[in-house]
Amino acid sequence: MAKVKGSIVVDIEKCKGCEVCIPACPQDVIRLAEEVNGKGYHFAYMANPDSCTGCANCAIVCPDGVITVYRKKVSE
Amino acid sequence: MKELRLMKGNEAISEAAIRAGVDGYFGYPITPQSEVLEYLMAEKPEERTGMVVLQAESEVAAINMVYAGAGAGKMVMTSSSSPGISLKQEGITYIAGAELPCMILNVVRGGPGLGTIQPAQSDYFQAVKGGGHGDYKLIVLAPASVQEMYDFVELSFDLAFKYRNPVMILSDGAIGQMMEKVEIGEQKVRLTDAQVKERCPWATTGKDANRERNIITSLDLDSNKQELFNVKLQTKYKEVEANEVRYEEMQTEDAEYIFVAYGTSARICQKSIEIARAKGIKVGLLRPITLFPFPNKRLLELSKQVKGILTVEMSAGQMIEDVKLAVECSIPVQHFGRMGGIIPSPGEVVEALEKTYL
Repeated sequence: MAKVKGSIVVDIEKCKGCEVCIPACPQDVIRLAEEVNGKGYHFAYMANPDSCTGCANCAIVCPDGVITVYRKKVSE
Repeated sequence: MKELRLMKGNEAISEAAIRAGVDGYFGYPITPQSEVLEYLMAEKPEERTGMVVLQAESEVAAINMVYAGAGAGKMVMTSSSSPGISLKQEGITYIAGAELPCMILNVVRGGPGLGTIQPAQSDYFQAVKGGGHGDYKLIVLAPASVQEMYDFVELSFDLAFKYRNPVMILSDGAIGQMMEKVEIGEQKVRLTDAQVKERCPWATTGKDANRERNIITSLDLDSNKQELFNVKLQTKYKEVEANEVRYEEMQTEDAEYIFVAYGTSARICQKSIEIARAKGIKVGLLRPITLFPFPNKRLLELSKQVKGILTVEMSAGQMIEDVKLAVECSIPVQHFGRMGGIIPSPGEVVEALEKTYL
């Protein structure tokens, strides 16, 4: 059966570090980075990239639309 | 039908300024307020309404540009976040001392010093007790939603011109950055020079042969005259206190305890009320919308009905002093707050209420 693997790309400069995406992720993929962006905010990043299923919950809840989700079918 | 948009608080206040027919904005970037300047620059209001938008060389320069614009009877504003507002205090006291109308937005962040860039409410004292030197007051409005960020722009200019006094919108990093639905109003046309002269006979708009010179100053070396001026200011503040108190109440009718909170904290308390009431605790909320003038009278009335008050602030407890004065220390008043950019959760607030009073 084909399995879906996901990945997110965060627009780092637009992320304000509000953390809404973190509890929205059922796979616990997202954390805030230690580093900060140009405005000084800790931005969201994929801390556990292997667990991402590409469900896009994070992108749906993001108030600033900074998350893009990619999905890829992988056959096992 | 009215136009609806999904906007950040900072963007809403900028759009509101253009639509209210504001003549000039002078600012300097600082997180979490930078979107005000960014939005205004991107919107090119000089093409939409002729409004001037200028990034000054510093906060000090920006507030003095506001001083000058206000002296000419124009609708002018500036915005910053806590450290920048501290820099502006000299200009603000001069503007108050010269009795000029203007709007100042503070998108508060955690302090002291440079502090954090996350939301806080630790500039309450600075906003409501004057902020700079001398006996003066600002009229202070505290929005609790992005819609209020929009609506308070026009309100603040109405009040500023009615009383010839600077008005501060005391927001915070949460409301400034929060995205919410906003109902956008009609575009108003900026006042013409003739209309400015009619509205502001005190302004420096060019002397006609048939009137005395208008002088804008906050200096008087004659103590007797200066005292008379101070008395005049205090009379004005009394008038503001009598006429302009604004507040909102939630579920206070049967409340045994009340939260007193403004801005972001008030939004959190709304959820806390739901949680507490589900547990059978009869709690309500009084949300001051104007922080000066403070809703003293209503709080005193409520103190006869409730057993205790919990002020919820994202600070070490500043508004609590005004609440205690308002209720004349007749009932217990306690404080709950988080600091340094941490936003309390609704559950934490309920826990604090239980720990304090139950």
